[in-house]
Amino acid sequence: MKLVTTKGDSFVFQISKREKRLLLEVLKLYPLIPAAHHRITRNTDSKQITENQKLLNDALAERTRENKRQLLGMLKEENRFQEADGGYRFTLGPPQTEWLLQVLNDIRVGSWVMLGEPDETKRKTPDLKGEGALYYAAMEFCGYLEMALLNAIECSG
Amino acid sequence: MPETVEPLIRPDIGKEEESDPKSELEPGYLVICWDDPVNLMDYVTHVFRVVFGWPKQKAEFHMLQVHNTGKSVLTRESMERAEHYVHQLQSYSLHATMEPDA
Repeated sequence: MKLVTTKGDSFVFQISKREKRLLLEVLKLYPLIPAAHHRITRNTDSKQITENQKLLNDALAERTRENKRQLLGMLKEENRFQEADGGYRFTLGPPQTEWLLQVLNDIRVGSWVMLGEPDETKRKTPDLKGEGALYYAAMEFCGYLEMALLNAIECSG
Repeated sequence: MPETVEPLIRPDIGKEEESDPKSELEPGYLVICWDDPVNLMDYVTHVFRVVFGWPKQKAEFHMLQVHNTGKSVLTRESMERAEHYVHQLQSYSLHATMEPDA
């Protein structure tokens, strides 16, 4: 997927048929980060902060519901993907670009969690057996799409 | 093309106001971003720019601090504002916490 032009403040990407199919498949994984993954603090002594952990969880859950609603709305829009040059023109405005980044990174980080939080610097490699291969592919594909979105934002300056 | 409804909750794109100077004398909380091997460096820089309204150079400085030292203290705030920032950063799936400023 690469940026081909901007229309007003919207980005127009060229996305191949295979990439579009993969995108729609990978978006089905959202949300993927377990609720317990995010902690508001590493300090477990504060009762006040512990109570606020629930508020944070509620706020994140609300954000996730909103992103999911946006996602379903986008996928239903017939003109979001327009056939061109053997693939599709994929148009995103600034708000959609921002929440798609959040959604893709949720899937990327969630896949990493599902893989057992691998870390090459600590020689902790991912288990690619069974669903591991799926999550590894999702993690890498989301990273690829995120870079395409970030490069577009950077180009728009 | 059908119009797309804008999200109800949008990232804080504008520059954040400076904290009240008086808060320096009050108990404060440090908003810290921790390193992890999954979030892309360009993505982290982008999130810092969106959430704090920082220029690219400052966002990259903190991103590199996270990458090279394992963490970066992004700001010192009251509890409410620290919670707000942690929520924003975690909405982008960054590893962020708030810690009492001892």
